[in-house]
Amino acid sequence: MNNNKNNMDIKDAEYGVDSRYKSKRERELDGAALMEERLRRMRNLSRDQIIRAKLLQLKLQMEDYLKKPIYDKRNYFSEFVASYVDIIYSKRSNFAKDIDITPVMLSQVINNHREPKDEFIMKLMIHSEKAYKNVCSFHKKTWYQVYFHEKICDTMSNQDNWRPKIEKHVKISEFINE
Amino acid sequence: MKIINTSTEKVYLVEILSVEDEDFNSLGEERYFFDWETERNQEIYKLQIVGSKDILGLMSLERIPEEWRIHVRLLTVSKENKGRNKQFDNITGNLLAYAAKLAVKDYGELACISLRPKTQIADHYIRKYGMTVTGLTLSIEVPDILTLINTYDHE
Repeated sequence: MNNNKNNMDIKDAEYGVDSRYKSKRERELDGAALMEERLRRMRNLSRDQIIRAKLLQLKLQMEDYLKKPIYDKRNYFSEFVASYVDIIYSKRSNFAKDIDITPVMLSQVINNHREPKDEFIMKLMIHSEKAYKNVCSFHKKTWYQVYFHEKICDTMSNQDNWRPKIEKHVKISEFINE
Repeated sequence: MKIINTSTEKVYLVEILSVEDEDFNSLGEERYFFDWETERNQEIYKLQIVGSKDILGLMSLERIPEEWRIHVRLLTVSKENKGRNKQFDNITGNLLAYAAKLAVKDYGELACISLRPKTQIADHYIRKYGMTVTGLTLSIEVPDILTLINTYDHE
């Protein structure tokens, strides 16, 4: 009887799991035991495994950013670039060298003192294709999407600043009566 | 993310979305095995074929940020996707991979997802999803959590 029940459970293993903790105490005890084991395993992670996890994390954060409009003063493009470089390189100047730009130019882009040129984003795209090749799928248009998403969000949220000045220079003289 | 029709082998793109209030009208225990009403205040996700409203799988999660962990509270497939004659394959794998993506997005190299299946079926989760056992709890962490994500997430 019991064996039949076990066979049924195994056959239907994927129908569902009820893992709910009965109490906070049970969750804490479970978490403490699990954490002890996890910390032991974490100590054995290689640098390569950590970099792969961080690159996947960055990709997921960029995808998440693209799903919603964010209106704040942060510059997400440059923050993502800084994270990308810092995950892979010990020195930012090494990345600058690898994509054939000056460390000053990289620093200016990361610190929002200059707009990235098209060529910079193209180099970033090619670099990411190589870096992500054996980590996870990474769409080549991601960096461009992040850059333009930021532009759209900024432009829409800063209309009070730019609109009064720009609007003076815009009229429709044909087709539509104002 | 994709599921496969077991009889035709046709592949379908799926999406995993937050469960909305109106979904609870159709989440009966008869088709989804648990009383999902009791999970109403939890973070619940549903799996659907893109373009369809029919829910094929459900999962509720508990975030435990102080442990860099997301615990799978409840997970199920719809009745017709249970057992040997199930209609679609990979529903559970996609739901677990989605939970894994949420954990990696927030916790990076420290990410972990956990669940506590019955002892009799724990082996299945260990073999199929590369989970590790600690006491009664199964968990998946770096590097295996990346393999889980890459197996099911092809976007």
